[in-house]
Amino acid sequence: MAKKTYDLLFKLLLIGDSGVGKTCILFRFSDDAFTSTFISTIGIDFKIKTVELRGKKIKLQIWDTAGQERFHTITTSYYRGAMGIMLVYDITNEKSFENIVKWLRNIDEHANEDVEKMILGNKCDMSDKRVVSKERGEAIAREHGIRFMETSAKSNTNIEGAFCELAEAILDKTSGRESAENTERVVIDRGNGDKAPGYNKCCA
Amino acid sequence: MSMFKARVKEFEDLFAQDVIDLKQLRRHTFNGVPDVHSFRAISWKMLLGYLGSKRSSWPATLAKKRALYNQFIVELVLPPGHTQNGDGNDDGDGDNESRGVGLQDHPLSEGPESAWNTFFSDNEFLLQIDKDVRRLCPDISFFQQPTEYPCEIVVHSKGEHGRRLHERVVPSVLSSANVERKGLGMTKINLITKRSAENYAAMEEGQEAHWEVVQRILFIYAKLNPGQGYVQGMNEIVGPIYYVMASDPDLENRTYAEADCFFCFTALMSEIRDFFIKTLDDSEGGIKCMMSKLSNMLKAKDIGIYDHLKSQELHPQYYSFRWINLLLSQEFPLPDVLRIWDSVFSDEHRFDFLIKICCSMILIQREAILENDFASNVKLLQNYPPIDINVVLTHAVSLA
Repeated sequence: MAKKTYDLLFKLLLIGDSGVGKTCILFRFSDDAFTSTFISTIGIDFKIKTVELRGKKIKLQIWDTAGQERFHTITTSYYRGAMGIMLVYDITNEKSFENIVKWLRNIDEHANEDVEKMILGNKCDMSDKRVVSKERGEAIAREHGIRFMETSAKSNTNIEGAFCELAEAILDKTSGRESAENTERVVIDRGNGDKAPGYNKCCA
Repeated sequence: MSMFKARVKEFEDLFAQDVIDLKQLRRHTFNGVPDVHSFRAISWKMLLGYLGSKRSSWPATLAKKRALYNQFIVELVLPPGHTQNGDGNDDGDGDNESRGVGLQDHPLSEGPESAWNTFFSDNEFLLQIDKDVRRLCPDISFFQQPTEYPCEIVVHSKGEHGRRLHERVVPSVLSSANVERKGLGMTKINLITKRSAENYAAMEEGQEAHWEVVQRILFIYAKLNPGQGYVQGMNEIVGPIYYVMASDPDLENRTYAEADCFFCFTALMSEIRDFFIKTLDDSEGGIKCMMSKLSNMLKAKDIGIYDHLKSQELHPQYYSFRWINLLLSQEFPLPDVLRIWDSVFSDEHRFDFLIKICCSMILIQREAILENDFASNVKLLQNYPPIDINVVLTHAVSLA
């Protein structure tokens, strides 16, 4: 048996409309770089990054999916194994924001019930083209009891923070499960009093 | 070098025949088309069924198809009510006529017959095409360069907006301004000019970039095949074909790269269309069926590696979905893709050889795969390491 170089393995999934910047977010997080000229993702892509949280080495296995409807039969088969899902829209694209509801329904249908979710409003560096206000993003997140952040892969805003927060939420749940096997599921932004919800770290 | 010369000679002799022997053509192209003259462009046009084997029939076929394509542009691309020169002559501002638009039709009409209504609903899939063609083959500069043969009726706007397809979906012509009041009636206006940071910027009047041409091809294809529309990945299929046609050393042919590419692309799509249709995923010829073919071949050739991947729960769709869907066009650099497609197109039992290539790609990495953990293996197969493409192809040929 090979020696494990990590303590925990978390499987994350990035979903959202085509062109909202999922691949760029992942690339910024895993390689700390940005390029606007990514080929479109066909099917599913994959990256690994190890982070350290509360003294634990956590290996994040992140799946990046194609956004277009055609690929849903392929990509939804990945929902089941995911422990955390990042749902991305583009603040300069109204439609991608409206579709958040559709993506949430998809999660309900295909993912584990206790999957950790997070909504990201990406491209927040492009303030001159913004059409979705931060308040609307916060509102929809609050309505569904999900974490929310505005991010920019380009200006490297909140990318690391978003992944770490999602990982921490999963960690909370995992360690909770270790101590008491039969814990009830908690809605994230209400139950855990000791952890502030993530509404406060958005970019300016 | 003499080997190369011998291959060039083979093709010269082949294309000198009045009636080209298709079997012979297949045999030659299977081993790769030399990068000289119009060999590859002609070979692909024939293998995809665009040109027949009788050479004397080519001029008539080409003239007919190219005229037809031009008609598609006029009918499908130009905005409703566009002004068109009466007798198809390019210059002269003679009598103008309007298409499909009477007094009862207007941009705000929601009637099902309204040409304007269609015009606006087209913009939804056009937006998707626009996103994808602007990120086509980013590692080479070809698609960002202007074409020497722009489509004249499109690039000269004559004051009309929307002849260039991307103008319809990218509101870059709007400029906004911040108006600030300072003190007594002093008004400061900050003009924010929209910067198109990408290199895939649109060209000025009279010019267009290759990606704009590819956009039009995909748009027309989607309009003519409404049941399928545009699906991501089609851009990766049309890209290499267009590249071959648009870099044809024969300038006459290069002028019509767009039309020729459209028909070759359509012909190829008719064979792989099922890969792009979700509801056909499980049917024969659908993508899942192709992936199982690969999986079964791997199992038959090397049960050890098959079992290893299976034990890691590394499902074929993690890597082979894209491989097969895009005919390997995203896995290798463009020159290698052209070489692979020479062989794939010459395969009479379409895509048997493609599956063999995919299988060889796995078998060649046998040692690494057996040693790697799950994550490294996904990475390896999703980002195939640089390799001499002939090694892969020779290996694939050896798979009986």
